[in-house]
Formats: sequence, C-alpha cells, structure tokens
Amino acid sequence: MIDINGLCKDFGDLRVLKNIDLHIDKGERVVIIGPSGSGKSTLLRCMNLLETPTSGHVIFEGIDLTDAKTDLDTVRCKMGMVFQQFNLFPHKTILENMTLAPRYHKMMSDAEAKETAMRLLGRIGLADKANVYPSTLSGGQKQRVAIVRALAMGPDVMLFDEPTSALDPEMVGEVLALIRELADDGMTMAIVTHEMGFAREVGTRVLFMDDGVIAAENEPKAFFDHPENPRLRDFLSKVL
Amino acid sequence: MIEAFKSGFYKTFIRDNRYKVFVQGFRNTVIITIAAAVIGILIGIVVSLIHSLAQSARNKKKKTPGAVILNVLDKICTAYVAVMRGTPLAIQLMIMTFIVMGGFPNKIIVCCIAFGVNSGAYVSEVIRGGIASVDIGQTEAGRSLGISELGTLRLIVLPQAIKNILPAMCNEGIAVLKETSICGLISVVDLTRAGDLIRSRTMSPYFTLISVAIIYFILVFGLSKAVGRLERRLAQSDRH
Repeated sequence: MIDINGLCKDFGDLRVLKNIDLHIDKGERVVIIGPSGSGKSTLLRCMNLLETPTSGHVIFEGIDLTDAKTDLDTVRCKMGMVFQQFNLFPHKTILENMTLAPRYHKMMSDAEAKETAMRLLGRIGLADKANVYPSTLSGGQKQRVAIVRALAMGPDVMLFDEPTSALDPEMVGEVLALIRELADDGMTMAIVTHEMGFAREVGTRVLFMDDGVIAAENEPKAFFDHPENPRLRDFLSKVL
Repeated sequence: MIEAFKSGFYKTFIRDNRYKVFVQGFRNTVIITIAAAVIGILIGIVVSLIHSLAQSARNKKKKTPGAVILNVLDKICTAYVAVMRGTPLAIQLMIMTFIVMGGFPNKIIVCCIAFGVNSGAYVSEVIRGGIASVDIGQTEAGRSLGISELGTLRLIVLPQAIKNILPAMCNEGIAVLKETSICGLISVVDLTRAGDLIRSRTMSPYFTLISVAIIYFILVFGLSKAVGRLERRLAQSDRH
C-alpha cells in the first residue's frame, strides 16, 4: 500500500532521514518509536508529503507522490492524518470541522456529509457537541473529533503523529481506545507514539528509529521481549 | 472673547461663502482617502497572496515554471514594499504627478493612485503578519485533508487571520486619511489646502488652522472608536 524507497530528508545541512526503505501492506499497523530527533515524525510526514523528501520515492497505491505531476490533493483524500496538536479549525463548529473537506471535494452532498459526520460523532459519543466550537472541548474530545474528521473522508490509511503526546494523562485512554477500535476494523495505519504498551498491543509491526535510520523492526512481542539492537535495548530500558 | 470668536468664525466660514471651500476640501479628502484605501487593500491582497504562495513553493523546493514566475513576482513585490516604505510619501506623490502620470488632467485621481499604491505596501505587510499569526498546524490540517493551497488559505487560514488583519487595516486607513493632508503639494484642494487658502485670505491663521485640525481630529477619533469596537467584537468571537 505504501512503498518508501531510498527516502532522504535534509533540514538545511542536517540529514534527518537517511535512505529509508519501508513497505507497509494493507491492513498492517506499523508503530514507529524512537528517541526525539530520531526522524520518526518526519518519516510519517513524508508519507503524505507534508514534508517534501530531499530524495527518494514515496509510492501510495501505485502512485508516486514524489512525482511533480502527481495531484497530491487527490491522494491525500485517501490518507487521513492526525496531529499531536489536534489542529481542529477553531472558527468552525465540530460539525463544520467534519464536513468541511468532504464538501470541499464534493465527495457527497451537504446532507450526506452531515449525515456521515453525525454518524461518526455518534460513534464517539459526541453527537451532542456537533454545534459547539472546538475551544469548549477537552483535549481528549478534540483528538477524537480530529480522528473522525479524518475518517469522514473514507481514507485507506491513517497516519497518527504522536496522537496522545499533548493530552493530559487521564485523556490518553479514550483516544487510544478509539484508535484500537479502528485497528479492530482492519484500518491500515502508521502510528508514531511514545505509548509502549499501546504499541505492543495494537501494532502488527514495530519500528525503532534512531538517528535517521530504521535501526530495528520486528513483530511486537519479539520486539519488546527480545530486543537485539543495543540502542533499542538502551532506549527501552529508559522508557519501560 | 466671544466677539473675537464670532468675527473669526464669520471671516473664516461665512464671508464670501468661504465654507464652500472647506466643503470642497473635506469632500476631496474623503474621496481620496476612501479610493486610496480601496486601491491599497486590493494591492495589499495581491502582494501578500503572491508572497504567501511563493514562500510555500520555496519551502517545497518546487522548480516548476509556475514556481519560478511566482518567485520573480515575489521579488518584485518585495522591492515594491521596500521602496514604498523607504521613500517619503511627498516625493512619491510628486513623482506620480509629474513623472509617472505627468500631464494627466485629473489631479484627484493622481492622488488616489499615489496614496493607494503607497498604502498597498503597508496593507500587504498587515495581511502577511495576519497570515503568519495563524498556527502552521491549521495549514497542515487543511492540506492533509486534500484541500488545495488556495482553498486552505481561503477556508481555514484567512478567516482566522482576519481577526488580526481587520483592526490593523482600519488603523492603516486612519493613517491614509492623515497622510492625504499633503495633497496641497500638487495643488489639489483637500481639507488642509482649503484651510491654507482661507488662512491666506483672512490673515488669521489661528482660527482656520485650528478648525481644520478639529475636523481631522473628529474624523480620526470617530474612526478609532469604531476600530476599538470592532476589535472588542472580534475578541469576543475568539471565546465562542
């Protein structure tokens, strides 16, 4: 579904991603962990080209996103993204937040867009918040709305960039529960997170990024129980 | 005292229908201010739009012909802003009158254009600052939902930026109003010039100049009050 070949990303003189190769299959849930500054968020942001790679290719469903002729807007409709800072639109109500993009793309009629939004809001128990502004919601509520806002587009893959890092501890659970639900539904996802327990439970594969390379990867049980890479061992000893 | 006031008032406004000169001057001042403000806003929008698009093209290191043209336009706009802010308005007015539009019969139109072109530079900076004040995460959220660059600007960034833009823009309008007082340099009878003409007839600078100052003050004070109310209303909508 996503093929990343020889991906490099420089910020000025600093090479943040060093020749990354990564293949994500449909239905996989790839969790990316690693110390801060290791390039894990940059890697995720390169997947929908929010960061433009310096070199290399990102191929999604057979379309090369790094090709200048590719219409990124169309491709991005199939790739949902959730940010650490939620990034709900503060000048729009929750319902408007949800329907803005589907209506912009004329994917459905206004009535259908609204219906889809209300169904998704009902699913996360926030239907009664449809007509309020984001500033009145708690962090956990905002992030759950941000997730269903991305879902409203009917994406084939969801990218999560540290979805719980900006939340108060008591709100982490509700957001993780929603992501877990999506996982159970078979959604393909790539998740950058610091929640090791969650990574182990939800991931079908865990990647450890260090200094711009994928230093280790494995299925979760082996990854956490028998880490072979010494840097990974060191990292896990600090965070677990 | 009262007698002196009465005679001053009579000499300045009543004798020979002198109030008509003030009315004409007042009318010209208002016309030039409004026209210049409109021209300034139009130029400011175009310049800031070019800047904003060129910058994002630069960030993505785009090398398409469109990006190159944008870059050249952006350089021109930068030079324009620098020249407008770096030279005295009085000189700009005279250059417009005697060089750029030399021989153009209607000097009022020349004034409108000269002040408008000058104001456009300031307005573009105001809009640019307003756009920059909106969190980059808002743009990223819009783009990640497949909304185009311009669509994101129009639907997501500008509606939030307007809160910062509008009050500053009104203040720019007030500045234009006061700056129009140099119209007399090219023999356009604005409010200041009208007062000056009457002063040379009545030989009493005191009454005419103070009168003119009071009229300006009432206009500016009224506008400032309106801006203050606008600011408070916009601040309220912040809290939802």
